Order: sequence, then C-alpha cells, then structure tokens
Amino acid sequence: MTEKLKKNIRNFCIIAHIDHGKSTLADRLIEMTGQVSARDMQDQLLDSMDLEKERGITIKLTPVRMYYTAKDGNEYVFNLIDTPGHVDFSYEVSRSLAACEGAVLVVDATQGVQAQTLANVYLALENDLEILPVINKIDLASADPDGTKSEIEDAIGLDCSNAPLISAKAGINIEDVLEKIVTMLPAPKDADDEPLKALIFDSYYDNFKGVICFVRIKAGSVKVGDRIKTFMSDKQFDVTEVGVFSPGLTPKQSLSSGEVGYIAASIKSVQDTAVGDTITLVDNPAAEPLPGYKKALPVVFSGVYPLDGSKFNDLKEAILKLKLNDASLTYEAENSMALGFGFRCGFLGLLHMEIIQQRIEREFDIEIITTAPSVSYKVHLVGGEEIEVENPSRLPEPSSIDYMEEPIISANIYSPPEYVGPIMELCQEKRGVFLDMTYVDSKRVRLQYKLPLNEIIFDFFDGLKSRTRGYASFDYEICGYEKSDLVKLDMYLNGDICDALAIIVHKDKAYVRGRAIAEKLKEVIPRHMFEIPIQAAVGGKIIARETVKALRKDVLAKCYGGDVTRKKKLLEKQKEGKKKMRRLGTVEIPSEAFMTILKIDSE
Amino acid sequence: MAGIYIHVPFCASKCAYCDFASFPKEIGKQEAYFACLYKEMRSRFAELKEKRFDTVYFGGGTPSFVDPKYILGAMRLIKECANLSEGAEITLEVNPGTIDRNKLRIYKQAGITRFSIGLQSADDDLLRRIGRIHTRVDFEKACDVLKGYNLSADVMIGLFDQTKEIVKNTIDCAIAGGVKHISVYALTPEVGTPIYTDYLNGELPDGDEVADTYEFVVGYLKEKGFDRYEVSNFAVKGYESRHNLNYWKRGEYIGFGVAASSFINGRRFTNVFSIDEYVHFLLNGKYAEASSEVIEGDDAKFEFLMLALRTRDGVDLKVYKSVFGSDFTADYSKAIKSQSAYLSVTSDTVRIKDEYLYVQNHIILEFMR
Repeated sequence: MTEKLKKNIRNFCIIAHIDHGKSTLADRLIEMTGQVSARDMQDQLLDSMDLEKERGITIKLTPVRMYYTAKDGNEYVFNLIDTPGHVDFSYEVSRSLAACEGAVLVVDATQGVQAQTLANVYLALENDLEILPVINKIDLASADPDGTKSEIEDAIGLDCSNAPLISAKAGINIEDVLEKIVTMLPAPKDADDEPLKALIFDSYYDNFKGVICFVRIKAGSVKVGDRIKTFMSDKQFDVTEVGVFSPGLTPKQSLSSGEVGYIAASIKSVQDTAVGDTITLVDNPAAEPLPGYKKALPVVFSGVYPLDGSKFNDLKEAILKLKLNDASLTYEAENSMALGFGFRCGFLGLLHMEIIQQRIEREFDIEIITTAPSVSYKVHLVGGEEIEVENPSRLPEPSSIDYMEEPIISANIYSPPEYVGPIMELCQEKRGVFLDMTYVDSKRVRLQYKLPLNEIIFDFFDGLKSRTRGYASFDYEICGYEKSDLVKLDMYLNGDICDALAIIVHKDKAYVRGRAIAEKLKEVIPRHMFEIPIQAAVGGKIIARETVKALRKDVLAKCYGGDVTRKKKLLEKQKEGKKKMRRLGTVEIPSEAFMTILKIDSE
Repeated sequence: MAGIYIHVPFCASKCAYCDFASFPKEIGKQEAYFACLYKEMRSRFAELKEKRFDTVYFGGGTPSFVDPKYILGAMRLIKECANLSEGAEITLEVNPGTIDRNKLRIYKQAGITRFSIGLQSADDDLLRRIGRIHTRVDFEKACDVLKGYNLSADVMIGLFDQTKEIVKNTIDCAIAGGVKHISVYALTPEVGTPIYTDYLNGELPDGDEVADTYEFVVGYLKEKGFDRYEVSNFAVKGYESRHNLNYWKRGEYIGFGVAASSFINGRRFTNVFSIDEYVHFLLNGKYAEASSEVIEGDDAKFEFLMLALRTRDGVDLKVYKSVFGSDFTADYSKAIKSQSAYLSVTSDTVRIKDEYLYVQNHIILEFMR
C-alpha cells in the first residue's frame, strides 16, 4: 500500500493570524486533491460548527486525509490537522502541532506579519516543525508580496525565496503549495519496529462506537483486536476499529508509525483519553509516554443554573453530554440561596466558558443563568489547613482565614508600539507586574506581564481591545499562585444577601468595584412596585448603596372596545419578559444581570 | 345591555400624537363612507334583533367635523332597525371650533344626549405644540353652545413642559364650562407620529413626572367633586359614562365603520383601517372585518378581570360567578394572595387599592396564566 511508504506521507497543519485565510486554503487543498467538497467535510462535527463559524474560530479539531499525485509521479498522503484558534486552547494547539512534522504558515499579503502569526510560529518552532511560508491574497490591489516576504524574513527569520504566492480565494497557485508540501515538509520517521506510541490530539464521543480518539502514530502500529492502554489511566481496552479521515471516518486494518487516524475501543468516557496522553499496547508497551502531556486544568469557574428551577435534571443531562466530549470541562452540583440548584463548572478560559454556556442554551434548549466567573483561590485557614475556593460565596469567615493565594498568569501582549502606553496603564490597573518589553520588529512590540488571573476575567480583553483599537493580541499561561490581600464583596438586594452576586476582589479594589456593581445593578433591575435598596458590603460593612425607585406608572391610558386585544398583547409581552427574570426573595432580576457585573470596567 | 359605537374617520387636521383611524385629506369620501356605514349597520342589526342597546357613541376622528346630517341619518337608522332603550345615553365627540348652534339643532333632532369635548389643554401654546387647531376660547364657546347638555372633556397629561398649574387651569376651565365628566389621558408617543420624534429627543416628561401630574389631578379633581371611577375617568356622581362602563364590564358592543371593534356573542372583531378598503368590502356586499377572535375559558376570565380592575369598583364577585360559574377568589387565589398588598378584598369585590391603580399592569400580570 502506498501509505506504507513513510516517505510519501506528509503530516502538517496550517497556522495563520485570524482572517489571513487559513480555512479558505484548507478548503482549496481538499478540493484540489480530490473527491470531497469542502462542505461535506464540515458535516462530521456539525454540533460545534455553528458556533465556530459565528466566531470564526476552530474549537474541535477536524483532521483530513488527502491524496496528491506530485510532479515526481508519486502519490502522497497528506494529513491536514486543524488547530483551534484561541488562547484558551493553546494546550490543544500544541498537541495538534506535536502530531505534525510541518506547518504551512499563511500570511496575508495585505497585512503582513501579525501577532497571532508570531505566536503560532513560536509554538510551531517549539514543536520542531518545518515551516512553509505561503503569501496569500496576492490578487488584492493592496497586496504587497515582496514587503510581506521581507517582513517574514526579518521578523521570523524564515527563508521566503520559495514561498508560494497564492490567492486561496481565487484559487491561484494552489498547486505550488501542494508541491512545496511534498518537497519542503519532511516525511515522518519510520518507527514501525518500536512499541506502539500513539499521541492523542483530540477525541469525541460517538453514541455507537464510544470514544473516537484522534491519534498520530509516533511509533509501532495498532490494529483491530489489539489490547491497549494509556499512560495516564490504568484502564485497558480492546481496539474495535482503526481508520483514517478521508474526511469521514474510514476504517482500515491497521495504523502504523507516521500515520494520522483514529482508534475506537468501546471507551466510555473522554476522561480516559486525555489530549496529550499516549496510547500503547498492553502486551508490548512502550517504555515511556511521548513528552508534553499536561492535565488540562480548568482555571475559570462559574455557577450555571437553570432559569427555570424545574429544569435542573435537563441541565444535568446537558452537562453530562457535553462532558462526554470535553475532558477539560468540570462540574459539581451546588446550591445557591438565590438561584437554587445548579452546577459550579470549570473551564479552560472565558471563551471555553462562553462556548459551553451557549451550547447548553442552543443545543439543549435550556435557558440558564450563569454567575460571574471566578478563579480558584487557595485559602489558608488559621489552623494551618489549606482549602480551595472556587465559589466566592463559599469563602470562610475572614476571622478564620490566615491568608489567601490567587492564581497568577504570565501574559504576552503583542501590539503596535503606539499603544504601549495605554496597555501599560491597563496592566497597572489590573495589578500587573511588568516583566519585559521587546521589539519584535519596527511595527510590533511584545510586552510581558505577570497578572492575577482574577483581573483577567474581569473584562481584561475588552479593555485591551478598546485601548488598542483591536490591534493588540494576547496569550497567557498560568504560572503559579501568589499571596494576595483579597476580600469577599457581598451584594444585598432589598436587604437580603444575594450569594450568586458575591465576588472575591483585591482589598484595594473592593470599594470601586462595589460601587460600580451597585450602579450597574441599578440599571439592569427593572422597577418594582416597591423601592429596592442595592448595597455592596465587605465584611458586613456597607461600602456602596444605590436605589431602584418604585414603579409609578404602568398602565394603558385608554382601554375601550378596540384596545382590549392590544392591552392583552402588551401584558403578554411583559409576561414573556418576566419569564427571563429570576425572583430572589421579592426582587426579580434579569438573568443577564449576573454577567453584566463583569462588564463594569469597560465604561 | 349592549353598546353601539360608530366611527367617524374624518378630521380638520391630524394632531401630532394621533395614530387613530382619522384621515383629514379624505373628507371627500364622506358620502360614500356613510352610505357604506349605513349598509353595514342595517345588515348587522338585522342579525342582532334580540340585542337591546342602551348606549350609542360617535367617536373619531371628529364626528362634529362632518355634515351633521350623517349623524342624524345614523341615529334614524338605529331607531328604525335596532332595539334602542328608552333613555339611552347617546354621546357625540366634538372638537372645539367645529360646533355651532346650527349643528346642535340637528344633533338635538338626532337625539344626542351627551357631548364629549376634546379640550386636551386650556393652554393655547401647548395646544399648538401638540397640533391642535383650536384655542381655549374655542372651548369656552363650545361649552356655551352646548350649555345644559351632559358634557365631558378630554384632558391630556404628559405634554411638553406641562406644569401642574397648566393642568389645574385646564381642569378649572372645563369645570367652568359646565363639564361633569373628565377623562385624563397620559400622552402615549406612538411610533410613526410626529410627536414620537420629540419623545425620542427627550422633550416629553418621563414616567415619574407624568405620575406626579396624575397624582395631582386625582387629588385636585376629588377636591372638585369628581370621583375617579376608572383609572383615566373622573365624574361627578351620576355622570359616569355608561357607554364606557359597559366596556369595562366586558359587556357587548357593536362597532361600525373603519377600525371599529365589536364584541358580541363571545367574538371580538375589528374592521379594516382604511376607508377605501372598508368601502370596497361593503360595496361588494361583505363585512370589512380585518381580524376576529373567539374568546373563551381562561382568556375570557382574564379579560373580565383585566378590564374590571381598571375601575374603582373592581371585580364584582357575584357578577363574575354568574358569568363564569366559578368563584373568582378560587380561580385566582394565588395571584390574590401574592398581590394582597395592592388589593382591597371584600366579600363582594376585589379591587386595586387607589394608590396602586396607576401601576396596575404589574398587578394584573400576576393574574395572567
């Protein structure tokens, strides 16, 4: 078989700054090499597709296998591995890259090198990938291919003399890209004689086959009937199916080193097939796993409650189903005085959180209330005990706390130099510690900061975007915990404490934030039949107060013969609006109020 | 007991807030319009032989703007074709500046017993700003002409820079003219009307200011012997509008003309909005219904309470039971309990407490299923 010839396999990914044409080029390559139209390819993971398209990002990885007969007369197998496009998923990206030998770097000839271009290139270089630069959008009037080439050479140090000049959209020079993939990207190593090492770079749950693991065979081979295990879990499974993506699941007899494909083994949970883990054979195990495995730990936590309390079980079902496909999502049931029964869910980041929330609402049709995200704090109690607190309302009494630690990130911010001032200001406001500033090139600066994660989840992205007109980009990783002077900020509505609105903030920020949240709540809580005091308090001491005045006019002036139907419709509309409200004691709050308190810094 | 409503869609000019079926430029169509209106009336009355009518109301537009012979014609037709009670209340809406003794002579012949005058404000500057084409003096003259009749006046609040003083003067002016019934409406800026732009530009008072004015009006009218018998209607005892009370009791009514609504035999229907369409239907021997719904069960009960709770007397528990065969307090026990702070409940009635009548939508909402 052709694919047995390792030298005829090319495993690669496409990396690019957003909108530089990554997806379009992928579509073209698939079209040029064959059978399948780009549209069919997208059917296989339809679930997340709408969201991905809307946001212009890739969440689930969809590998594709292509066949290309090169000018040298040989047929080549191309495995294109897609990568998620967001910092929340940087670990998944790194595992996808680890499954490849090469990367096609797409750069927009009208825009040149951008922040994400650099971040992706660094990531690819870390994984020892050969990089093939491709200059896209050369058909546009404002395209500057030569300028872009020299920019890539200067900023990244990649030789661009042979870079294909293409237009993915217009289908210009795609053939050149295919040829260069053959000639410039390396073939995988032949390691068929070694024990099996299969890198899991993604997985999803299939109702019939169980978990489908997306793997890159780094060494050895695997076939139907083999007994396998992973390094991180002690469970064993019998392989029921192996195959490749062309682009749907296409069963094969076996997979051997250098190949990209899937393994199904009646695995019940994606938990057992964590991204980055290594699959090996029980009978002839590899001595050690592939390097680079990290347990995906949630860093952002938020309460998720059904708007309609009776939908708790439906919500549970939904989260369980999402969890089947998403090992990084964590959950545990919790009970809020204000919101009733729900779940405290853990996410990789804010985008991951938003995606999960939207999928619950769209795919499972359950309206939910989500509380402001929190991070996980390490609380050291007076007695010496250490506990982790992810839900602000669960923070112990101040008197029993010795000290607290909060998670810290190290952040890279890429921006044109003119925005350095505003970015530094923002980072300072966010309690950031400046680490370094380097010029990537004359148009781009990299700022490194240490920042508390708790400040990032409070509107850091929006602040960064608005202060740099969208030109800055940002990635981060958790780098540890640091001791910090934190307090719990409580909110009282009509005299009752509302646990779902509590947040943990730095002591110096409590007053400002408390006042801002009270003001925001005043805006979003509609007027009731009575006056509603809104109070912010720290340790029982009121630090801010606002009042929602009582409603004074809510009546249809005229109601004669022809007005009855109109009035009924008006009331029905008001009733609909009320259904979106959550009643806390005597006060009705719109469900989005719990999130709007996050958006207070952008004004 | 049932009411008759006749819509006269003609006006001298369109007011800045008006989105009613009134078409100043189509006065040339009045002959055709009334011919069709009469046709509709004859046909409907022939189907409603068993109904007895106690009130007639000519609304608009400006009924006093058209040739009074059309009003006379309509009344003659009613007396001929319908079962109209002795002593029926027959109201005609008039605008100041469109009424004189000659017209009155014919209205008298027609049997009009009550005139509802569109005063809106006694402040000439304000009248001009809302697009009214009459003045305070026109109103005074109209009152003089109509002396001795049962008079009502419409007053608007929520107007530009309207002070309590202006509202007070308006009320004083109405009372001085012999008015015994006053309807007080808060301006509702409707999309598509010229005043909506002013509303968007923040030139109109906000809800709280309107509520202040309203509270003042309620107090001031009470002082003057006018009792609030419905959220927007005030009358000296005995001068309540029977025609309108019938609406709030969810009584039956038959409406004629463009945009007129009817509620009869459990069905509510509304005619088309445009004169041409209306005429077209009638000339082709068809009714001009644009929409129709049969209201039963919970919907009927809800309508009943929604309307009744607008009034001073609220839901009459005996009447409710006789109409629906069930107990109001049992049907709505949950809402009555949750809203108890805002309701006054006796063994005979459930009504909204005076001080909460102006925020009644919030309360009524809790009764909605």
